[in-house]
Amino acid sequence: MDIVFEIVSVRTFWRILLFLHFLMAVGLLAAVTLQAVAVMVPARQAAGKFAQILRPGPAASYATAVALLYVPTFLLGAWVYIKYRTYVRIPMEQVGQWWTVGSFEFKEHIVSMGMGLLPAYWYFWRQSMSEEHATIRKWLTVFLAFTVWYAFAVGHVANDFRGVGS
Amino acid sequence: MTHALDVGERIAERDQAAVARAAKATTSARVSRFGTFAITFGIAFAILYTVFERLNWPLFTYHPAVGKLDFWMQRARSGEGPPMYWYGWLALSFPAAALMGWIATLLSERWLHRATIFCCALAAFWPACFAAGSYIADQASFDADILKSVWITGIPALVGAAAAGYFVSIPWAQRVWTSWLLIMPIGGLAILGYSLKQYFLR
Repeated sequence: MDIVFEIVSVRTFWRILLFLHFLMAVGLLAAVTLQAVAVMVPARQAAGKFAQILRPGPAASYATAVALLYVPTFLLGAWVYIKYRTYVRIPMEQVGQWWTVGSFEFKEHIVSMGMGLLPAYWYFWRQSMSEEHATIRKWLTVFLAFTVWYAFAVGHVANDFRGVGS
Repeated sequence: MTHALDVGERIAERDQAAVARAAKATTSARVSRFGTFAITFGIAFAILYTVFERLNWPLFTYHPAVGKLDFWMQRARSGEGPPMYWYGWLALSFPAAALMGWIATLLSERWLHRATIFCCALAAFWPACFAAGSYIADQASFDADILKSVWITGIPALVGAAAAGYFVSIPWAQRVWTSWLLIMPIGGLAILGYSLKQYFLR
């Protein structure tokens, strides 16, 4: 780590990590949202012209991207979390932003639950042609989309308090 | 002639039922070993993570300000900054859930479904019994603090879960098996979210 800190300052290093975490989160958010929309608005369903234009591609095609992005986003987030605990949360508590602290605590739980469901999610999407698992596949996708959206929104609020560009 | 047609219809109906039964059997058999592992892992992880967080059982404690690791749970020490337990809960939950997933692949389908019902019922009954015990202890005019013990309230939960595991029909357990994948994380998050109320009610 010392070699890295000779090139960039400690502050810049953490900001780069946070920005990478943000970039991956945006990619994950896009993939899981498109997939959730695809499972909620199936291709066979009659839809208006506007809905037809917005309807994303086959839902199964997003599964690999979601699984491949979820894990490194989670791991990078877990790394950045060290800085949050010492550099962000303590001042947050000092100014009494308890809602933000509580929401961030819940974020760690919700993303962990998402990680736990990832192998099952991957398994059900590998069998995307099987109708028997269509319901669980759909709701797992919606659950994962919710976890990612929640984590993104709360992470964004914490970043606004003390992060990149704040 | 009419009688012959009736018999023919009954045979056809029986054949259809047999085909449906066979299709159902094939359906449940279609979950591969990896599928069994992944589904059990998902259910077990949600339960174990919630339990480890609530009991505060991390595998290790990390002190980020000084970059120090301690085995199991260590309270904050003077001059060492805040301790972090989340990594420790994850480090314990992931391998424990993986172990459960692996054990699940060794079980027969019948025992797998019974064990799933037992574990999920225990996960539901235990906090319910604990909440009920705490409520009774608070309302009672006599000293009932023993009912606030996590371990004491675990006894009726264990009995209830064993009964559920024994009496629930296997076809029903088979039908709801994958549903636990959503019920357990949502239930776990409800408990974990409730435990954070101190932040939202200040």
